[in-house]
Amino acid sequence: MALAQPLYADQHRPIQHQFNPYAENGGTILAIAGKDFSVIAGDTRQTEGYSIQTRYAPKVFKLTDRAVLAVNGFQADCSTFVKKVKQRIEWYRHAHSKQMPLKAIARMIQGMLYGKRFFPYYTYNILGGIEEDGTGAVYSFDPVGSYEREACRAAGAASSLIQPFLDNQIYFKNQTPAPGAAPFEPGNLPMDTVLSIVIDSFTSATERHIEVGDGLEMFVVVAPGRDVAGVQSLGAEELPALTPEGERIFVLRRDLKKD
Amino acid sequence: MSIMEYNGGSVVAMKGKNCVAIASDLRLGNQAMTVATNFEKVFPVTDSLYCGLAGLATDVITLRERFRYRVNMYTIKEERQIEPATFAQLVSSTLYERRFGPYFVEPVIAGISKKTGEPFIAAADLIGCLNFAKDFVVCGTASDKLFGVAEGLWEPDMAAEDLFETISQTLMNAVDRDAFSGWGAIVHVITPEKVISRTLKARMD
Amino acid sequence: MAECSFGLVGKGYVLIASDTSASRSIVKMKENEDKIKGLGPNLMMAYGGEPGDTIQFAEYVERNLRLYHIRHNHTLRPASAAAWIRRSLADSLRSRHPYSVNLILGGYDHTSSMPNLYWIDYLGTMVEVPFAAHGYGAYFALATLDRFHDPEATLEEGLETLKRCINEVEKRLIISLGKFMVKIIDRNGMREVEL
Repeated sequence: MALAQPLYADQHRPIQHQFNPYAENGGTILAIAGKDFSVIAGDTRQTEGYSIQTRYAPKVFKLTDRAVLAVNGFQADCSTFVKKVKQRIEWYRHAHSKQMPLKAIARMIQGMLYGKRFFPYYTYNILGGIEEDGTGAVYSFDPVGSYEREACRAAGAASSLIQPFLDNQIYFKNQTPAPGAAPFEPGNLPMDTVLSIVIDSFTSATERHIEVGDGLEMFVVVAPGRDVAGVQSLGAEELPALTPEGERIFVLRRDLKKD
Repeated sequence: MSIMEYNGGSVVAMKGKNCVAIASDLRLGNQAMTVATNFEKVFPVTDSLYCGLAGLATDVITLRERFRYRVNMYTIKEERQIEPATFAQLVSSTLYERRFGPYFVEPVIAGISKKTGEPFIAAADLIGCLNFAKDFVVCGTASDKLFGVAEGLWEPDMAAEDLFETISQTLMNAVDRDAFSGWGAIVHVITPEKVISRTLKARMD
Repeated sequence: MAECSFGLVGKGYVLIASDTSASRSIVKMKENEDKIKGLGPNLMMAYGGEPGDTIQFAEYVERNLRLYHIRHNHTLRPASAAAWIRRSLADSLRSRHPYSVNLILGGYDHTSSMPNLYWIDYLGTMVEVPFAAHGYGAYFALATLDRFHDPEATLEEGLETLKRCINEVEKRLIISLGKFMVKIIDRNGMREVEL
């Protein structure tokens, strides 16, 4: 029951100070797996409230020749987390004389996130790359480490705009194959289709979300021996690899609409 | 608890080539509990003009009744059917009348002008600020999802059948990611000749 | 909320059940309170909510529908009566002292020869439904009705479904609501039924 309080009551209450250790820096990330490739993408805008802090803050990072990590949420936590993941991956390489497999990185990330269960990294992670059996893979995480392998995932500010679109275009939700046609199989789309879905997703998000825009970076991880003429013809930059005959990683950059 | 999310529900409208479409889900809830799965949120105003209302269900019904009354008065006084653009102004002024104690409803309007044959869509906020879009308008608890999917699927100058497919896919995929919307859907495609209304076979969970 | 009522339609009839307790705070004042009011020959209404408001509003509705009958020598059809009752609640909501009354309205429409059931809450939200429930009991009754309701059910089957709902509420709800009262409306009018 609320009692009437005299006006000066406020002045006699102790003043409380609170430090908020987190911020929210906007942006959106997204990853889609193919049969023998994986696309991991993120926009490059960084915001706080209504201010744009920078138009180029990368959110997608190469971890190994076959693993790429996209991070989104609170930028300080994101960069710290990526630094620590890279460090642990390097230790693994020194200890075992081989690059860390994708599923091992995924499990390690869950351990690192859960390790800070009671003061979490405010980060949404999506890991993409090539599995040891040569298949394209996407792993998505929540901030405290619960994770899952999927065919696609969107996270960040515009995830609610993009994820239902991906449900439709990647998982073929609410679609039925034409009579007599082959059944839909998620995670089996050709690379050019996947890339255009990624670009469409970010173009849509840029149009309707103020925290998304400026630049788009798409990392394409390709299984060993797969034809790369398609991605090269789009003007992709290839990142140097440790092993010459293994997986290859390409980066495609695009400007996002500027009005 | 937000009043606008108390009952749940979403509406979307889209423009095509010489046609418009408007669609809603069918859920009526009390916060997390689903009370009914037959609550339509889109109502005919004239034979080529429909109005969708998402928000607090009591105000959805009250406004439907008020709009019907005011449109009937207009029809009697003017001795002609109301034009979509005129109806949009009627909606706006009805809502702004309650500027400081609003109806908790966001309306969406879709129709074809009898005079010019032009397709028309519009949306308003709960105090009647109109938005005349040339592509699509959305409202309700799944509005952010609807924006994302519609922005990805919609393209200019679609024929009636394509428009039906686009608005249906947009609505279903958006409400499937929204806990407060869904449980069936209804779509109306308005062409100069006729209105095609279809209930969709959607996810019921 | 500690009150509970539900209703369902079957083939040519509508059933409404309500608990019979009248309570104030934690004290049960009465355990044989009839909370289903007949509104003319083909309409009935289960009401619950704020104690004073319920009876005041129920009688207001009853008298106004009676007045309509006298003036026009013709009773309102269930759909029209429901719309009027809803509008009364919706107007009351934005008044200085709103009624907090939740209703389940059941009727038999002699024009269409169809039973009707309406779920109405204190905000003026109204929807015509195959089955309805109010109060904490709704969480159990709606799940039970989702599983067992059949719009083509005979009266015996309908009563059986209603019994399942009451049993579920009595078994799982921590508050005991005492006895339930059940009333039916069909083409022959309203009457109470013993379970």
